[in-house]
Amino acid sequence: MNIHEYQAKKILHKYGITIPKGGIAYTPNEAKRVASAVSFRGPWVLKAQIQSGARKSGYFLEAKAGRKGGVRMIKSRRDIIKNAEQMLGSTLVTMQTGPKGKQVGRIYVEAFNKVKKVFYAGLVIDRMLPALTLLVAETVDKDISDIAINEPEKILKIKLSLHENVAPKQIQQILEFLKLSPRSAKSLETFVNGLHQAFIENDATMIEINPVGVLSNGSLIALDAKISFDDNALYRHKDIKMLQDDYEENERELQAAKYRFSYSEFEGNIGCIVNGDGLAMAVMDILHAKGFGVACSLNVKGGVDKDKIASGIKIIMTNPKVEGILINILGGFLRCNLIADGIIAAASEVGLNVPLVVRFEGTNKDEAKEILKHSKLPIIIADEMEEAADALIKAVEESD
Amino acid sequence: MSILVGKNTKVICQGITGNQATFHIKRSLDYGTKVVGGITPGKGGEMHLGLPVFNTVREAVDATKANASVMFVPAPYVKGAMKEAVEAELDLVVCIADGVPIQDMLEIKAMLNGSKTKLIGPNTPGIITPGEARLGIFPENIHCPGKIGIISRSSTMTYEAVIETNRVNLGQSTVIGLGDDMIIGMDFIEAIERFQRDVDTSAIIMLGRLGGTFEEDAARYYKNLPVKKPIIGFVAGDAVPFGHKMGYAGDIITRGRISAQDKKDAMADAGIIVVNNINHIHRELEKLFNCCETSCKL
Repeated sequence: MNIHEYQAKKILHKYGITIPKGGIAYTPNEAKRVASAVSFRGPWVLKAQIQSGARKSGYFLEAKAGRKGGVRMIKSRRDIIKNAEQMLGSTLVTMQTGPKGKQVGRIYVEAFNKVKKVFYAGLVIDRMLPALTLLVAETVDKDISDIAINEPEKILKIKLSLHENVAPKQIQQILEFLKLSPRSAKSLETFVNGLHQAFIENDATMIEINPVGVLSNGSLIALDAKISFDDNALYRHKDIKMLQDDYEENERELQAAKYRFSYSEFEGNIGCIVNGDGLAMAVMDILHAKGFGVACSLNVKGGVDKDKIASGIKIIMTNPKVEGILINILGGFLRCNLIADGIIAAASEVGLNVPLVVRFEGTNKDEAKEILKHSKLPIIIADEMEEAADALIKAVEESD
Repeated sequence: MSILVGKNTKVICQGITGNQATFHIKRSLDYGTKVVGGITPGKGGEMHLGLPVFNTVREAVDATKANASVMFVPAPYVKGAMKEAVEAELDLVVCIADGVPIQDMLEIKAMLNGSKTKLIGPNTPGIITPGEARLGIFPENIHCPGKIGIISRSSTMTYEAVIETNRVNLGQSTVIGLGDDMIIGMDFIEAIERFQRDVDTSAIIMLGRLGGTFEEDAARYYKNLPVKKPIIGFVAGDAVPFGHKMGYAGDIITRGRISAQDKKDAMADAGIIVVNNINHIHRELEKLFNCCETSCKL
């Protein structure tokens, strides 16, 4: 789960990390009020709150939003209203959002802070080590995305302990790597330990501050902030779960998540229902190799509740982009007969208007096939994955 | 012969009285697996499926001399259950649960480090040595004893590979689901190492997927082996587009993005026979072995 910048900053502030004075605004007038409250005079920074990086170099789809990006430096109060009007309700496209972009529903208004120097800081779990890993890099004239790919040696990676504070030796190492003055040492320690503690206590999977600014007195300030949390640990963080912005998520994804299924949308026209991520990928690969793309893929995992499975199948059946459905289930934990029951329940409720090919293997597959045969629904049953893909493609082409 | 589990493996089940555990342990017993007891805190002293139930792993091990555990406890309790299993010095734990928090897994990996316990999973169908022992949730009716070792990072693709070996009557020596998660116990390298030493395994099927560098690491290991049993490899994820993401930190860790093709290239370079369609595995098996020999009957 991701949260917005202003929410992330609020969390980090609780852990002793300095952030610029700022406030959230949903309307242009609010933006103006917040601006006056955070600073007596400009400049201010208006920041579109969508969950994406590279907002500054992004662009708005609507002409009314002007040519500037999603992060704007504003000098006069009058321009605050004008720019807030442009940004609010418009769609921001960045290199991380995809071409459709995301609609801006709120903006964060901050007092501008003059800094001497900036750098990148990220805290992640390197899952191959596996260990908590701190990443820092100077970002004077280059983007961190460039550095990551072209000059990875310019990024310092430090393994951190899960339970202990960051060692003084490590702080010193970071200080030297970033060529910070000794005056920044104390602030750096607070900053790094704040990140570490915020990460551990909230079951984060990533915290990224891009950039961190160094103020004239040497102390550090988080000019941006992103936090992602471990979905599997949200059960122990009710306060974090409340921050979820449903507006950011796809409605079908939310529905699937309610049943603990995972659901993804792509550019094609076939709907897939599988049990397992690897299988989902393998099915996509086969269809792709035959010139077909997947519109959406639902992974019902080890689901054992017939009603939930039916609800999941309905998500695929009611997606207007779907021209054919491929269900490929290899039962282990999941019993095939439950899927068969789910298909029938879903079809009787929302109708089956596109070709449907089912392939069952494993636990209770014969029972499942019998159930489908007796249902009198126009369902094609296949024995192997490739056979199923071929049968579906043929049916979709014929129904065109 | 087989690896890790066989007819002499004495198995206990953590969380034995739960619904899923009951369903699957019963099937494992019917399959002939030597399940000797189970653990459900608070239910010690009771009997379940004709087996004694204990309050702790330690008690169960003392009473039954079990050396392996199949764990059916829900994700939030996995960390505590693992601690018990490691402290009781079990040889093997198979963890079925999906959704174990990442930080819990970091702590579990630290616990395992330096212990004698090997973990398979989490988020795995488990491990099965056909005809001998089933620890997990495999549909046992598709398996048959034979000479192909299977290692997979995707639960459901595992079944697909099993069926491929059956198509050419070769059967399986042992089948291991490593788990679908990004932090897992045993990896490809440890499993390949064991299959290399197992006299009954003639070839290995390795199923990888997008995410992490498990496949590249295994390829590097395999490349340097002086004697190699043949490996047929598949990697899922060719058609998966890189979707929306947050931030850059992930890219820094993986040095840009690793595609399924990158993994396949690394595997092919190491001498692994790479197939692009999982349903073509049987064709490669046919080339490796005489098509007419029969070592397996369903």
